[in-house]
This record gives sequence, C-alpha cells and structure tokens, in this order.
Amino acid sequence: MISDGVLRQSVLTGTVVSQSIIHPQGGSGKKTIVGDLLLTALIDAFSILVVFLLMNFSSNGEILMIGKNQELPKAHMAAVLERNPVIKMDEGKLYLEDKVTTPNQLTGELLTLRQKHQELHPNVPFPGIATIQADRRIKYDSLNQVILAMNQAGYSDIKFAVVVK
Amino acid sequence: MNHRKKHLDFEVNLIPFIDFLSVSICFLLITAVWLNVGSMDVKQAVGGQAQEDTAKVPTMWVRMTSEGDLNLEVQQSSLVPAAFRKIRIAKQDNKIDLGAFEKAIQSLRKSEPALKMGLIQPTASTSYEEIIDVMDKLKTQGFNDLGVSPL
Repeated sequence: MISDGVLRQSVLTGTVVSQSIIHPQGGSGKKTIVGDLLLTALIDAFSILVVFLLMNFSSNGEILMIGKNQELPKAHMAAVLERNPVIKMDEGKLYLEDKVTTPNQLTGELLTLRQKHQELHPNVPFPGIATIQADRRIKYDSLNQVILAMNQAGYSDIKFAVVVK
Repeated sequence: MNHRKKHLDFEVNLIPFIDFLSVSICFLLITAVWLNVGSMDVKQAVGGQAQEDTAKVPTMWVRMTSEGDLNLEVQQSSLVPAAFRKIRIAKQDNKIDLGAFEKAIQSLRKSEPALKMGLIQPTASTSYEEIIDVMDKLKTQGFNDLGVSPL
C-alpha cells in the first residue's frame, strides 16, 4: 500500500549520492531513492500510547499543588479527591486556598468561606468538608490546630490528602 | 462493449490519522497526572454533635501512645467478649506493629460484624503518617466510619 501510495511520490534525490565516485547516482542516470516507511508499526505504537495515556487520564484537574519538599502519606484505601477548600501545611507555613494564614486566623477565614458558600448556594446545605494537605512527617500537634479550627468553623468532615499506593 | 476491470483496492490516506494520533499523544502527555492523589475521609470524633444525639453503635477507640503502642477499646458491643474489649498492641522496632493491629481488628470484626466505627486518638508526638497508616488498616478491614479526636 505504501510503495504504491503517496510516499512513492516523495523521491529522495540527495546531492551527496550524485557525487559518489564509486556508484554515482542521480544526475544523468536519473536514478531515484524511494524511502519506504513502515507506517503500520508506527501507528500501532501510537495507538498503544494513546490507549495507555487515556487510561491514566484524570479529568479531576489539578486540585492540589504539591511542593517539592512535601511528601504526602501513602494509603491503599483512598477515595477520589474532590474539590473542597484546601488547607495546606508546607515548610512550617499554613495556607488556606494558597493564601498564607495563621492557626489563629484560620477559623475566621474558614467562616468567611462558609458564608460565601451560603450566599452562592442559599438552598444547598453547607457540606462542611475541607481537605488537609500536609507532609507525612509532621506531628499531630501541628495538625491538631487545623482540626480544632475546622471544628470551630463547622467543618466536621476532613479529607486527608494521600498518595494512592 | 469494452468492460475494463476496475481496481477494488483503494488508498487510505494515513497522514491525517498519524497527525491525529500525534496531537492526542502530545495533549495526553502534557495533561497527564503521574501522581495519583486521593483522600482519606474522616470525621471529627469529638464535638460534632451532642452525646445524646450520637447513635449507640459498636465503636472501637484506637488510642495511640507517644511510645508507639496502640490501645484498642471496643464500646457499645455485646458480641465482643469482655476479655477482648481492651487490647494493647506493643510497638515493634520503635514503630507501630501494623501487622498485629490488622490481626486484632480482623478478629474483632469477626466477633462483631456491626463494628464499623473507628475513632482514633493520637498524641501530640504521633506522626501524621502513622495516623494515616492506622486509618488505612481500619478501612481495609471494613471500618467505614472513621473519626479523629483532637488533643
């Protein structure tokens, strides 16, 4: 199919080939070199790659921004990560939705988020869910401040971000 | 009449197909998420609602000590024998003995199939990874309602 097809038209007539002393080609003889490419193997490889990448495709989008020094804990029984307010603890700093905050301010800011949610969705009950993203090596002492702040602001459901094993 | 045989072979133009596959591969490679991130769902174990509103269901408390030991206590269960309601799992190699913990909760679940609520009480020095490991083992054994207690 290929040798009879479009590629037959694409004749490679190199200048180096015509300069050859032993077997000069091209020029007066008008010999041509036909480049046959085995496209079947190429398409096979492409198709396998597309199928593999489609299987790994995640439509959730980028919910978490993981710093280079941050290692999330690993777990087998992890649920699908959903879009909720993210409280991140990274390199000693506390972030709420990528804005730096302090444990004392966290309750107030979570309450503001709650108010915004209720203004935007007046008929929807407040879910009270937030995601905690923290390094696996931190102590519970630091996490406790976040959990208490969430408790005070009415966020009773905690989603700990983990890497699926 | 001169009937010339028509060729039934036809050419499939593969160039658009290769173009499409190349573009798909580029798009998928750029948007690929190589790190599979999930979430471990838990509730606040204490302070969510009044004690009288809380349903009396079989519950297991997992108290984590600062040394790495685990103290299990089953409450609101009549099927678990009294001798097994309080179990202590000692640390192994300065770490939580997750194997022994898994066996213990497996046997507790056998004696009380309705035991699905696990409440974890860590200490200030407990690492986040250890808490997640305990939660993971509990979820693996069918504890779907997990809670974590603040200090």
